[in-house]
Amino acid sequence: MLHIEQLHHAIVEMRRQAGARQQLRASLLKLAMEWLSELPEDSQLRTRLLPLADDDPNGIGLLPAEDTPWAMQIPCPRVDRSQVVTIGIDGSQIYPDRHAPLLYYLLHIGALLFRYTQQAPETYTHAWLRYRDEELYDAQGYLIDSETLNIERSIKEMEVAAALAERERAHSVAPIIVLIDGPLLWPYMERSAEGGHLKSYLSALSRLQEVGAIPVGYVDRPGGHLLLRLLWVSHQITQGAAGEPAGQFPLRGLTDLTLMEQVLTPGSRTVWFTRPSATNRLHALAGQEIWLCYGKFGSPAGASVARVEVPAWAARDREAMDILQSVLQHQAQVLGGYPYVLARAHEEALVTSRDKGILEQTIQRELLRDGLYTEPSAKAQQKSLLSHR
Amino acid sequence: MTNNHTIVIGNVLRADIRGFVVASRIPEPEVPTFGTFVRAPIQQEQTDLIGIVHNIRLQDDPFLRTLAATIAPDDPQYAEVIQDQRENRALPVEISVAAIGYRIAGRGSFIYGFPPQPPMVLYSIAVCSDQEVEAITASPEFMRTLLDAPDLPTDELIPAALERAAALRPASEVEHFLVDSGRYLARYLGRDPVRLDRILRRLESLYTAARAT
Repeated sequence: MLHIEQLHHAIVEMRRQAGARQQLRASLLKLAMEWLSELPEDSQLRTRLLPLADDDPNGIGLLPAEDTPWAMQIPCPRVDRSQVVTIGIDGSQIYPDRHAPLLYYLLHIGALLFRYTQQAPETYTHAWLRYRDEELYDAQGYLIDSETLNIERSIKEMEVAAALAERERAHSVAPIIVLIDGPLLWPYMERSAEGGHLKSYLSALSRLQEVGAIPVGYVDRPGGHLLLRLLWVSHQITQGAAGEPAGQFPLRGLTDLTLMEQVLTPGSRTVWFTRPSATNRLHALAGQEIWLCYGKFGSPAGASVARVEVPAWAARDREAMDILQSVLQHQAQVLGGYPYVLARAHEEALVTSRDKGILEQTIQRELLRDGLYTEPSAKAQQKSLLSHR
Repeated sequence: MTNNHTIVIGNVLRADIRGFVVASRIPEPEVPTFGTFVRAPIQQEQTDLIGIVHNIRLQDDPFLRTLAATIAPDDPQYAEVIQDQRENRALPVEISVAAIGYRIAGRGSFIYGFPPQPPMVLYSIAVCSDQEVEAITASPEFMRTLLDAPDLPTDELIPAALERAAALRPASEVEHFLVDSGRYLARYLGRDPVRLDRILRRLESLYTAARAT
């Protein structure tokens, strides 16, 4: 039982720190905005930064993806969205639990196929139940960890996306956008070489490319500071510095989100950037280099900043990107800043604790047919009794 | 509501021999209506509990509330979103069912009254077919448990059930069916003439329509 009174002093200190942090963030934001205004208006920024990216790919964070004039505010274009197909994909899971009555894990993918045809969208779900020893345990005999399961889920999301896009393309020539909640750039770098995971993921991206469907990673309220690092490096170059950035990153405590909330208006996006990272180089080798931009989508009453990631081959298609920007803006206006199609995909994918309970009851009843009785561990049973307090 | 329609149950909230309340998420077109006859397996599927839907309660849906604040009902800009809500999106509903009888598997006849056990584990309930409804309502005894239940909206429920049952009968049999039901109600509610009058007035329009055909 938590005794709140034990935390009284810490909570008061937290209040003081929050005030100080807010003042610090305001001054850092002012600095970032100054550095933003210093950025060269021509297309020289990329040329200036490229040599540094080769030397210190993690220090620089981001590079402008193209040698085009710098623009922080590309407004939402007016396009005809009729017939466009937007597929929202999300995934959910039940992790294996050694205290549960049964050892298994579940992957569940949900999708909403939203066609701009005035007709009801189509829903799709698929579940995978894993219970074999070779699925549950790694090569060393340990129960698989959550990251392994998350990797499998991410690959399944992309494979389902490819399958749905292929099915759609079989009877439609309309533009197809596939929206996934989260980054498109493979996020499990340390485990890329394991079991062909990255290869499977990139293969699914290629399948999407083959049918002309555009995969889009949508990261709502991004928490990093890639863009801020770019501003810092560019500022140092403006000050006459050469080589690697000197000193500690001064904008710690600020995020790209805070900056973009100030800069962008609803519906607008930035130019394209690319990450000079080892993972993106692996992507590029497979023809799937990832570019990203920041966008603010929704209405003046409710809008949210997101990082939007697409393959470079898609980003270079200006017409397709105009459609994408228009679709994201339309979808986000419904729910105060988050795309409707992703919210519904999440709802379709969701596995609630009630679903889990029913699944486990069903499995237990099935096992009972063969006289196999299972029960949770004593620890799990006690937790269950105490959780009703 | 189509025949042989199955409603998947999310959770049994309450259950006793007088009936049960289940929670589920169902697309709007599939939400059952007041007075629907349903069938639920009990006693390890050895018996079917027969009941009538007497309440449908929509649970709070914050997602729908957010949409309602943003989108006008017929806004053409969001036609697909509106269609999605109407046709796809499962509504969180609570369905209350009152037991009226049961049938043992393999036997054709219904036994009116409370079942031997409530549903212990319930994954789905089925809407009774037209033939089943006609068979269940062949005797006015199906109304007995409803009339005895003080907490049911019986004065509305019985006319709804009778209307549903009458619609399944050939035109030549409807008048007889309604008169039979009215006599049963008169015997049962003899000591409550106000209530009897209320129910019979509801049936009057059905009777008048039946006589006209």
